[in-house]
Amino acid sequence: MAEFIVDKDGIKRYLVTITVNGIKYTKMVKANSLLVNFLREDLDLTGTKKACEQGDCGACTVLLDGKPVNSCMVLTISVDGREVTTVEGLASNGKLDILQEKFIEHSAPQCGYCAPGILMSAKALLMRNPNPTELEVREAIAGNLCRCTGYVHYVQAILDAAAANQERKDG
Amino acid sequence: MAKEFSYLNFNRNKEYSYIGKSLKRTDILDKVTGRGKFTADLKFSNMLYGKLIRSTEAHARIIKIDTSEAEKLPGVRAIITAKDVPSIKYGLSPARYDETIFCIDKVRYYGDKIGAICAVDEETLYKALKLIKVEYEVLPAVFTPAEAAKEGAPQIFEEYPGNINTEIHLEFGDVEKAKKEAYYIRTDRLQGQRTVHGFIEPHCSIAYWEGKRVTIHSAHQSAHYLQHHIARIFNMKEGDVRVILPYIGAGFGGKLDVSGLDVAAVALSKITGQPVKMFFDLEEVWYNGRARHGMDMKYTTGVTKEGKILFVESEIILDGGAYTGLGVASSYYAGALLTVLYDFDNYRFDAYRYVTNLPPCGAQRGHGQPHPRYAFESHLDHIAEDLGIDPIDIRLLNARRANTVTPNGYEVKAYYLKEANEMARDVSGWKEKKGKLPKGRGIGVGNGGFVTGAGYCMYRTDLPHSIAMIKVYDDGTHAVVYTNAVDIGQGSDTVLTQMAAQAMGYPYEDITICTRDTDLSTLDFGAYASRQTLMAGWAVKRAGEDVKRKILAQAAEMLKVKEDGGYRFGKLTPEELECEEGIVYVKQEPAVNITFAEVARAYFVKHGVLIGRGYYHPGKLGGTHKGAAVGTSPAYSSATQIAEVEVDMETGLTKVVGTWDVHDSGFVVNPQLLHGQVHGAFSMGIGETIWEKVIFDEKGRVLNGNFAEYRLPTALDMPYVESLVVDTFEPNGPWGVKEVGEGATTPTLGCVANAVYDAIGVRISELPLTPEKIWRALKEAEGAKEKGGK
Amino acid sequence: MYLPDFEYFTPNSVEEACRLLSQYGSKAVAIAGGTDILVKMKKEVMAPEVLVSIGHLSELKKIEYVPGKGVVIGAGVTHNEVMNSKILHEKYLSVSEAAHQMANNQVRNLGTIGGNICNAVPSADMPPILIALDTTVKIVGAKGERTMPLENVFKGPNQTVLENDELITEFVIPDGNFTGSTYIKFGLRASGALAVVGVAASVQMEGDIVKDARIVLGAVSPVPVRAKEAENFLRGKKAGEELFAEAGVIASGECRPISDIRGSAEYRRDMVRVFTRRALLKAVNEGHV
Repeated sequence: MAEFIVDKDGIKRYLVTITVNGIKYTKMVKANSLLVNFLREDLDLTGTKKACEQGDCGACTVLLDGKPVNSCMVLTISVDGREVTTVEGLASNGKLDILQEKFIEHSAPQCGYCAPGILMSAKALLMRNPNPTELEVREAIAGNLCRCTGYVHYVQAILDAAAANQERKDG
Repeated sequence: MAKEFSYLNFNRNKEYSYIGKSLKRTDILDKVTGRGKFTADLKFSNMLYGKLIRSTEAHARIIKIDTSEAEKLPGVRAIITAKDVPSIKYGLSPARYDETIFCIDKVRYYGDKIGAICAVDEETLYKALKLIKVEYEVLPAVFTPAEAAKEGAPQIFEEYPGNINTEIHLEFGDVEKAKKEAYYIRTDRLQGQRTVHGFIEPHCSIAYWEGKRVTIHSAHQSAHYLQHHIARIFNMKEGDVRVILPYIGAGFGGKLDVSGLDVAAVALSKITGQPVKMFFDLEEVWYNGRARHGMDMKYTTGVTKEGKILFVESEIILDGGAYTGLGVASSYYAGALLTVLYDFDNYRFDAYRYVTNLPPCGAQRGHGQPHPRYAFESHLDHIAEDLGIDPIDIRLLNARRANTVTPNGYEVKAYYLKEANEMARDVSGWKEKKGKLPKGRGIGVGNGGFVTGAGYCMYRTDLPHSIAMIKVYDDGTHAVVYTNAVDIGQGSDTVLTQMAAQAMGYPYEDITICTRDTDLSTLDFGAYASRQTLMAGWAVKRAGEDVKRKILAQAAEMLKVKEDGGYRFGKLTPEELECEEGIVYVKQEPAVNITFAEVARAYFVKHGVLIGRGYYHPGKLGGTHKGAAVGTSPAYSSATQIAEVEVDMETGLTKVVGTWDVHDSGFVVNPQLLHGQVHGAFSMGIGETIWEKVIFDEKGRVLNGNFAEYRLPTALDMPYVESLVVDTFEPNGPWGVKEVGEGATTPTLGCVANAVYDAIGVRISELPLTPEKIWRALKEAEGAKEKGGK
Repeated sequence: MYLPDFEYFTPNSVEEACRLLSQYGSKAVAIAGGTDILVKMKKEVMAPEVLVSIGHLSELKKIEYVPGKGVVIGAGVTHNEVMNSKILHEKYLSVSEAAHQMANNQVRNLGTIGGNICNAVPSADMPPILIALDTTVKIVGAKGERTMPLENVFKGPNQTVLENDELITEFVIPDGNFTGSTYIKFGLRASGALAVVGVAASVQMEGDIVKDARIVLGAVSPVPVRAKEAENFLRGKKAGEELFAEAGVIASGECRPISDIRGSAEYRRDMVRVFTRRALLKAVNEGHV
């Protein structure tokens, strides 16, 4: 259990250490801190979006130990000692992830509010299943609502990213 | 007779450097890396967090607002109610200014705005909200137009007797005479439901004051209208209101009205002297409303034996909700554009918009159109069936043609609905499918279209509708386009940058666009009525051409060509030159050239600054009858959609299996973005046809103010989509462009409904076509058959 | 939306969790995936002062096959873990498929099977299929443990027989003689929709004779219910579409649906008829799917 101090109102503040995008952050949080707010407010990682706050839209999707979850439904304290990846962690050393490249090529996002969540869902899919079918792609992003695109370019971009990954591997 | 001038296949052989191409979105890197900031992502030092205080009664007099407990909570900075803010009324049209910042003496719907509160953090804010006690004298409420229309019904506004807020009676031609001539007359009545826009980003607004000036960052579709409204409400000069719109998580019409957040943020930051961030929780988006009206639509149409429409008589009843806002325009739009779609002379349109004790309705993608299109396209299919005509044939027969004028005064230039129908028919396999699919499977067609920008500003003004400026860097290596066109995701930043590049003859990659800031950029009315590509496009094109004109003039002094054994130096005329992709060259001798950058630098040395200017005003449009302004536009798009569905005859569950859209959008600047609009429009339209409806309880509370019970289509629900265009050229648009964003939603409801009818043989007269409604209709039809059989 | 303050405990064992739950009594709630509790807290439907985390307890995370006992599923296993379990794919694909139909991918990565049961939402997707397979649950409390059929766990919407200090720790799908089973969810969208009706069926076939059958209905009664008359009706009869259609009619008479925003009672009753028939056919023809 995380260590804590008790403030003068009797509220506990816990010391948590969470690895976000490969960086270890140690912060004090209250028990009621939600991961989405921790990322956005405490770490200023606002790429993770907030919308429905009830696990219905997927805008706040992040990877928790490699699996996509809605960060609006995760208590920060329950993530103590674990690893989180957000959209800001997709590119490395200025090099975009293949998914990001393909999203650009297909103009997949329009307003872009759902894009970080879809990217994370898609990333998790390709890590687990490098060569998905169209149905598997649709299924992987079915928890990410988008009102602008009808998902058409998103699905194409993700399939394309998978194909490009395969090519790189084969080549 | 002179041959009709055709704008068809006009662009077939044109090849441009930067338009007509799917270039990369200007905002795409921001959007795939998460670094792009939306309003809720912004933070300012010392910022407070605020929320609206909302009514918990649908219709009630406010007796007392007790904020004392909340004020005692440490961290609460300010609580304001009607007494603390201007009591000025606002809305769209002065005759129907009926909304105030906060309710003054009574609340008119559950969720109505009573006041606002701000605190040092969100947690304190939510705790304080719960401590505010409002005492009401509850009044009887009305929740449907039928209830509102009853004699002795409670009156929601003194100024709207009988609760009628907008009443329209228009007639063009002679309907009574046409009735006598008609071979066949049929009446159908259908209902469209109340929906919400369904954008994912809830509204958010941040305001702070610096001296007499206020700055507002907001999720809004129009920097200018927000500036205009704030200035009017707070009795300020427009120049003292600066509006900055960060990235916007889509709008679809829902971020166009004054939301209450902006005004409250302005008022609270004035009182506290600190930046205030106001935000909605998702459910509040439903209470803010301003989305599609519920409509009850009755159409009577008379046709010839061949199916040619002789007259249409329509009566539309709208559930307006508590306030007017854009609803007066919605009411006129509900009847305005049928005449653009189909060519007939005699038209009567009656409409009644009732106020009810529900969240106010307003504009949603296709403003006022999708429901009437659904109703009329269903009605037209019945007429075709009764006469034994193929649904597409009756549409081909009646489709309006180019270069015509509608009976209600709209001038229609390029218009190729007929060709869209033919193309959709051919790509969808209509002929092989219609009437030949097994029971439970069906195919349907629907037509639609929209204005390409409204002909008139939302308030009375003679200002141009769009202004653009292009500034070239002093070394000529970069250019910035300035315009307050608002990219809410549809891609206007990209399209306008492409247009600037094309007009200037300058590389797309070397241009950035500066938009959505009233201080930094230039006037544009914003993203609504599908106006940005044409209207802001004109302004940008003209600004780009202005730059090019200056560059060519300068280059003429710099280039020399060989002539009669000697050199002609500095004697070229600008007309002899062309500039493309950053190179200025002599048309007759392209090898003689110079870079744009070099010329620009020389221009700077001589003139100090290189700026291009352009603006656009559509001029006077339309007839003189009451409401003639609504529906006017420099150009009209048209579209045909076909959908194929599969209905489970036992459960009523509908699965859309394939969809085809053919759009007459004029010249297409960026095909990829255009198809993106069509895909999104389909998804919204399919959702509205099958799943979506806002549901209230008996107190007027929203029961499905979330994305679990208000079901937008998911990736698993979206069918195969094919999006195609008819190659046309609109003479009133820059390079021949028209719209796509809103028009593409208008045919979907009708085409899917017609496909369901084709599949099951029963018409369901009310949207959405939920499985249970289909199940019930099938059961009733079976019951009737059995009864008839006996 | 926001969460009010609460105390949070991360016990090291089930035993410690029960002790904490016992100590704080009605003020405390156990939390695993949190997908249900946190939403209820945000909506102010519940306001526990103490949350006792159990989602991290490894003893609740197993899926194993114990010969002679059956398939044992820890209560802390997530829906996606059930969905992807090789053991379940082999033994009862129908259970994996039921988990697959819950909510969406992100929620399935958090939400646990134990949570799905303990929240006792009438439309929950896991109870019908597990009951159809005669699943028993192990319940551990501060004072000891007990075992009972899952069927007997539910008391009403959001109510179970669990005492305040008790936790479900595991589910056991006993080795049985069912030759086929399936769960059909009928929701109003392809993903992320609650069941309007959920029907699970399991059958034990001998040749083409239905030796035994279970039909469990979700979302049509305050708790998941078995259509026992329909089950009795089927026993000893020759399988066939007509027989199953008749069983559907009987089952539709056995449920007690309510009308809500997702569907009327009348519609739900008829959907029970349709999906009972379809589920039986599927279980007979396709095995555990």
